[in-house]
Amino acid sequence: MPIAQYALRKLLAGIPLVIGVTLVSFALMVYFGPDRTYELLGKNPTEEQIAEVRSQLGYDRPFAERYAGFLREVVTFDFGYAATGEPVATLLARTVPVSLLLILPGFVLGHLVSLGLALLAAYWRGRVADRLIMALATVGMSVSFVIVMIGFQIVFGSSDWLGWFPVRGWSTDSVGEYLRYIAVPTLATMFVAIGYDTRFYRALVAEEMTRDHVRTARAYGIPEARIFTRNILKNCLIPVITRVMFSIPSVAVGGSLLIESYFGIPGVGRATYEAIITGDQPVLKAVVTLTAILFVLVVILNDILYRVVDPRVSLE
Amino acid sequence: MNATALPLPAPRRDSLGARAVRQFRRDRTGMVALAVVLGYLAAAAGVWFGWWATDWGALTGTKWEPASAAHWFGTNIIGQDIFARAIYSTSVAFEVGLVVALAATALGAALGAAAGYFAGSWLDEVLLWFMGVLEAIPFYLFVAAVAFALQDSPWAMQVGMIATFWIGTARLVRGEVMKLRGIEYVEAARAIGLPSPVIIARHVLPNTTHILLVQASIAFVGAIKTEVILSFLGIGIRDGVSWGLMIEESTKEVLAGFYNNFLAASLLMFGLVMAFNTFADALQDALDPRKVG
Repeated sequence: MPIAQYALRKLLAGIPLVIGVTLVSFALMVYFGPDRTYELLGKNPTEEQIAEVRSQLGYDRPFAERYAGFLREVVTFDFGYAATGEPVATLLARTVPVSLLLILPGFVLGHLVSLGLALLAAYWRGRVADRLIMALATVGMSVSFVIVMIGFQIVFGSSDWLGWFPVRGWSTDSVGEYLRYIAVPTLATMFVAIGYDTRFYRALVAEEMTRDHVRTARAYGIPEARIFTRNILKNCLIPVITRVMFSIPSVAVGGSLLIESYFGIPGVGRATYEAIITGDQPVLKAVVTLTAILFVLVVILNDILYRVVDPRVSLE
Repeated sequence: MNATALPLPAPRRDSLGARAVRQFRRDRTGMVALAVVLGYLAAAAGVWFGWWATDWGALTGTKWEPASAAHWFGTNIIGQDIFARAIYSTSVAFEVGLVVALAATALGAALGAAAGYFAGSWLDEVLLWFMGVLEAIPFYLFVAAVAFALQDSPWAMQVGMIATFWIGTARLVRGEVMKLRGIEYVEAARAIGLPSPVIIARHVLPNTTHILLVQASIAFVGAIKTEVILSFLGIGIRDGVSWGLMIEESTKEVLAGFYNNFLAASLLMFGLVMAFNTFADALQDALDPRKVG
């Protein structure tokens, strides 16, 4: 089946998922969510004023009707205005690039370093180097991200210690400034990601190394390096792709929430965090919906990449 | 029994469980890790029985006292004993971890088994759809939304975690049950007319125990780590104290050069999570004969 046709069919199959996400988030965030009536009213409102605001907010209408309205906003991408008065679309256009700039270097480097360490560990399976790498990975996996963040901030940022990088904040005035500001968040992200990813990748490579076809290749006298790239690495690609792809939606929207709110970086994660704290529903609505759509797209892209990597996979 | 007639030792016929226990006991790292976890559990149990750390909320000293015989880890910004707070937080971590691990694993087992046993039916489709939906919602947003919907109940964080942590278990159990339901003994159970719920509960689910144990241990660690992040963000533990709240409190102190609060919570938490991760690894090695070490 041509890839375009396949993608279109998958896109249609993704509709129930997006509908489900909007239904759950509508029920949780809007229907059972915070009542904003009294926020919008002045002091000592009359009965009529209360009723008027409630009808403006749609609180007097039934569930189905309100959900239909919510869905209409989602379909037309008309998310309205954030509590600050800024259109949600403008807010996203302003914050999403910041988040991507912040998170991408650590995301890419983290996966590359993990894969490298995993290959080394698997290559020296059972030896000291393997044990050392795996012990370090377990340490990385066991430290809370919050602790790494604060610890790295003190060590690299505080003037009492190294004082190499800014303690917090954000700047893209020049490449140098940008690199200085992303250094500590990137190191923290990598430290934690490497713990999980190295273990995952090593398990994968180690299992692949015990396969019959690898033993056969070895028996034929094929050089070890070629076995490694042709027979082992290539067969590991599908789980690697899945892992990388499926971390994209959460990384792009929600994953930077903690870093951004702690380091004071004006990305979509901090905007989301502020929206959570203040109950700013238009922003939350937009973030949830866009993540769900991204999720569907990632699933489709993932399947297509499978096909590219492994010709046995059919797109039927 | 004619054991006396035959001098040969009877062949060892022990269950998979007994073999796993024997395997585990040979794993020295795993045993050490288990001992550390049990030490933490004892510390937590002491708090539940009211033996120690009862004065975690009391102002027993002055601001930022250094470590001393009276205050082993010093005191925090308002003069509370950091050691008592850190120990009390251990019990909070166990409460969160145990509740979430048990509930999420039970839910995952039940729904995963139902989906797997009736794979291809509408029930399976609906469950898969529901799992996909929950996975597609950003986690922190979901927990915050649950907190709103539950009107700031102190259980909001746990409910949010349980509602998402079961999915991984359910997917694994579903896959395993799909394999098991084609095996002869399950077919035989069906042939003699046992109702499906009985077959699932008595003949299928017990064979997924190895998955459930490992998943529960992963959920336990996951819940403790998530508690720290959520409490740090202000959407986790609401009253009382926890490692996450202590670390949140310490961010105001570390920049002033007072590290006791931060170190106490961080090190205690790291010790438990590290020991439990190591324990879970050893458990997995003991339970899964196919795993390549």
